[in-house]
Amino acid sequence: MKLTVNGKIHEHAGQGSIDALLEELSANPAHTALMVNGSVVSSNDWKTTLLKENDEVEMLVFVGGG
Amino acid sequence: MSDTLKIGDQELNSRLFLGTGKFSSSQAMIEAVKASGSELVTVALRRFNRAQAEDDLYGPLAELGNVRLMPNTSGAINAKEAVRAALLGRELSKSRIVKLEIHPNPHHLLPDPIETYEAAIELVKQDFLVLPYIPADPVLAKRLEDVGCAAVMPLGAAIGTGKGLSTADMIKIIVRDANIPVVVDAGLRAPSEAAAALEMGCDAVLVNSAIAVAENPAGMGAAFKIGVEAGRAARLAGLMPTSEVAMASSPLTSFLSSND
Repeated sequence: MKLTVNGKIHEHAGQGSIDALLEELSANPAHTALMVNGSVVSSNDWKTTLLKENDEVEMLVFVGGG
Repeated sequence: MSDTLKIGDQELNSRLFLGTGKFSSSQAMIEAVKASGSELVTVALRRFNRAQAEDDLYGPLAELGNVRLMPNTSGAINAKEAVRAALLGRELSKSRIVKLEIHPNPHHLLPDPIETYEAAIELVKQDFLVLPYIPADPVLAKRLEDVGCAAVMPLGAAIGTGKGLSTADMIKIIVRDANIPVVVDAGLRAPSEAAAALEMGCDAVLVNSAIAVAENPAGMGAAFKIGVEAGRAARLAGLMPTSEVAMASSPLTSFLSSND
């Protein structure tokens, strides 16, 4: 399934849940916040939220900032 | 004596807030936060990048225990983006506190008052404790208080300039009129400036560059801690009034003069 993850095309090979995508990308779920097509998806819903072809996913983490 | 700072439902013993950007390493940042005694630090959001996993501050910050995280909305150039950033930050921090900052122009990084005001209204509606970074504008500060912000954070000088309290006259008006905490955010370079901000009645200061790019960040964190404590203690003790004419501290009987 073709997705856009953080602005880059990503071919997802898992079963299509957000959890599966995070695992595929080696992202720590506890450290990640996520939006799909501009809407924030709470981590409580990651197991059950299924991604669709051409979805745009933004994955964010905390970094230093003032 | 208890002198707790209350911001919404949050109670803080330290009046020094720290930014976590620009440090040479996360270890240097952690040591500076510890030395500063700060209980509230800001963090930013950035796209996940597997190649730069060490930039992820979540782990290092969790070590700090009693330090609360205040995600900022840096990078947002309008209200809509700021609200989205705040929602994402809340997912990670699990806290209602947000530093609302919208500065569309990278040249001066000055906050956009109109977008900030609109975003504040929306974020208050969504149950955030909103601390907006604003120009030192007493009218805007009052308007943000009126829409339910938990504090206002006027700038001392532009971000990262180290030009100190260049807006002191306006900040004094904001302090005089405010019924919510006033936090000077941005521009401070020296602990004496933090002391001056607290002396003039500000409730706290937020410092990043001055500590992060000091030769010894932990040493500067400790120095700012003393500056903030001195300024607050002086405010509570009541500064003497100023006078246009000299007023002697010693008796002026001219007993050494041969004319008596």
